[in-house]
Amino acid sequence: MKNNDLKSMGKSFTKYILIIGALLILLDFTFHRHEYFSFAEIYGFPAFFGFVSFVFIVMLGKWLRKFLMRKEDYYDQ
Amino acid sequence: MISNFIPGLIMIITSFLLPTIPQYFRHPAMLLSVGLSALSLFNGYGTFLEWDILGLNLILYQSDSLTLPFAIIFHIAAILVIIFSWHRKNLMEHMATLAYAGSAIGALHAGDFFSLFIWWEATALTSVFIVFAGNTKAAKDAAMRYLIIQVSSGVLLLIGACLMLYQTGNHNLAVLDLKTNFGIFIFIAFGIKAAFPLLNGWLQDSYPESSVTGTVALSAFTTKLAIYALARTFPGTDSLIWIGAIMTAFPVFFAVIENDLRRVLSFSLNNQLGFMVVGIGIGTELSLNGTVAHAFVHIIYKALLFMSMGAVLYRAGTTKASELGGLYKYMPFTTIFCIIGAMSISAFPLFSGFVAKSLIMSSLGGMGMVLIYFILFFASAGVLEHSGIKIPYFAFFAHERKNKVKEAPINMLIAMGIAAFLCIAIGVFPKYLYQILPYTVDYQPYTLDHVISQLQLLVFAIIAFLFLVKFKLYPSEIRSTVLNSDWFYRKMLPGIGKPLFNKIGLLIDSLYKNLGLSFKQVLSKSYKFSNLSYIKVTTPSFAGTILISILFIMLVIVLV
Repeated sequence: MKNNDLKSMGKSFTKYILIIGALLILLDFTFHRHEYFSFAEIYGFPAFFGFVSFVFIVMLGKWLRKFLMRKEDYYDQ
Repeated sequence: MISNFIPGLIMIITSFLLPTIPQYFRHPAMLLSVGLSALSLFNGYGTFLEWDILGLNLILYQSDSLTLPFAIIFHIAAILVIIFSWHRKNLMEHMATLAYAGSAIGALHAGDFFSLFIWWEATALTSVFIVFAGNTKAAKDAAMRYLIIQVSSGVLLLIGACLMLYQTGNHNLAVLDLKTNFGIFIFIAFGIKAAFPLLNGWLQDSYPESSVTGTVALSAFTTKLAIYALARTFPGTDSLIWIGAIMTAFPVFFAVIENDLRRVLSFSLNNQLGFMVVGIGIGTELSLNGTVAHAFVHIIYKALLFMSMGAVLYRAGTTKASELGGLYKYMPFTTIFCIIGAMSISAFPLFSGFVAKSLIMSSLGGMGMVLIYFILFFASAGVLEHSGIKIPYFAFFAHERKNKVKEAPINMLIAMGIAAFLCIAIGVFPKYLYQILPYTVDYQPYTLDHVISQLQLLVFAIIAFLFLVKFKLYPSEIRSTVLNSDWFYRKMLPGIGKPLFNKIGLLIDSLYKNLGLSFKQVLSKSYKFSNLSYIKVTTPSFAGTILISILFIMLVIVLV
C-alpha cells in the first residue's frame, strides 16, 4: 500500500494540473487577453510557448550532455 | 553618534570578538550586532561620514533611495543565515559569515570607488573562509580558486578607480559608460562578481562546495552587491541588456543535466542575476525598480531554496539527485518550505517572484523589445524547470526512499519558515515592497491579462514535464561533472601551461649544462681555479626556470 503513495499522488496531481490547464485555455475564450505584442494574444499562446520551451530546454540539455558531461572525478584526475 | 557609524562595521567588530564570547551566547551576540547595524536603516538619506586621507576624500557612509532596499534585504539575509546556522559550532564560519555580511552592508554605503574597493575586497577575503569551512579537499581547492577570482575582480576595480582619478580628478561613484578605459575596467570588475557569461565559473565551482549553512550566506551577498554596483554606475548601458538575456538563458541548459542539486541552484542563481542585469540595461525607472525588487525577493527565495537543500544535505548526507528522492515523508516541513521557494522563484501569482519579475517584463514590453522579452519569457519556463520542478521533485519525490531520515532541526525550520512567510507576504501585499523601491512608480502586477498569461506558461510547462516523465523522455540523473566556464582555468590552461613550461625548463636546463661545461673547460685551463670546488654552476629547478624566463621576458619588453 505504502509503495503506491507516490504513484497515487502523481496521478491525482496530473489530474488536477490537466483540469487547471484546460480551465486556463477556456478562460482565454471568455475575454480578450491584452499583451504587449499582438501575436501573443492568440488563444493559448503562453500555454503553447510554455510547453514548447520546456520540451526544448530538456531535449537540448539532454543533447548537450554529449559535449559537457564528464566523469564525476574529472577534475581530480 | 550611532548615526555616523558605518552600517555593518559593528558586525565586523563583533565577528572579531566572537572567540571571546562563550559558545551559547555567540548567536545571540551575532543577532544583536545585526540589530544594532540595522538601526542605520532609520537614518534617512544623505552623506554621514567622510574621511580625508592622502589627499583623497573618501565617502565612507552615504545613503540614498538605491542603497536602502539593498541594506534592508542584506540585514534580513544576515538574520536568516544566523538563525539557520544556530546549531552549528564552527567558529571560523560564524566569524567569516558575520564579517562577510557586515562588509557587504558597508560596501552598499560607500560613496566613492576607493571605499567601495576596500569593502569589495573585504567581502572577498571574508567569504573565502566560508568556502574554506566546507572542510573537504574539494572545498579547500575551490576556496583557493574563488579567492584568486574575487581578488582579481578587486584589482580590476582598483585599476579602474586609479585611472578614473588620474584622468578626471574625480573618484566618486557616478554613472559611467563604456567609452572610457576606466569604465571598462570597472565594468569587468563588477561583471566578474555578477557572474556574467564566461566569467561565471567561480560561482558554480565554489558555492556548492561550502557547508550546509555556508552556501546560504554566500548566495545572498556577493552577487547582489555586484548588481547594486552595476545599477549605480551603469544604468541604461545597452550591452547589459544582451549580457543579461544570455545570462538568463544559458544556465538553464546546464541546470537540466547537473546532478548536484546545490549546483543546480547555483546555475539558477546565475539565471536570476540575468533578469536583474537586463533591468539595469534598460535603465528606465520602472526597470531599475524591477531590478531592485527582483534582487530583494530573490535573496529571500534563493536563501530559502539553499536552506532547504542545506537541510537535506544535513539529514540525508548528500544533495546528489541520483541518490535522493522520497524525502517528503520524513521531512514534510522542509518539503513544504522548499515548494514555497520553488513557486516563488518560478513566479507563480501570489508569490514574491511574480510581483518583482513583472516589473522587468513590463518595462521590456513597454519598450517594444520583442526578442529580449521572449528570451526572458523562455527563461521563465527554464526557471520552472530547474528550480520549480527539478529541485523539489528529485529531492522529495521521484521515488520511495528506503532509509529513514529525521526532519530538519528546529532552528533551520524557523529560518525557512520566516523566509517562506516573506515569500508569500510580499507576493500577496506587493505594495509594501514597492514603497521602498528607488522610484515611485504606480504599478499593478495583478491584472487578469498578466495572471492568466503567466499561469498558462507555468501550468503548461508543468504539463510538459509530466508528459516527458510519462514517456520516459526526461533525462535520468547521472553522477557526473558538467563542464562550465571554470574548465578554462581548471583544465585548459594547466593543459597548455604545464607541458609548455616543462619544455622551456628542459631547454634552459640544457643551456645551463652546456654553459657549465664550457665554463669548466675555460676554468680548468687555469691550474689555479681547477681545484677550487666552490665554483659550480648548478642547473636551476622548475621555479628557477620560471623566474629566469620571466626575467628574460621582462628584459625583452624593456628592450623593445
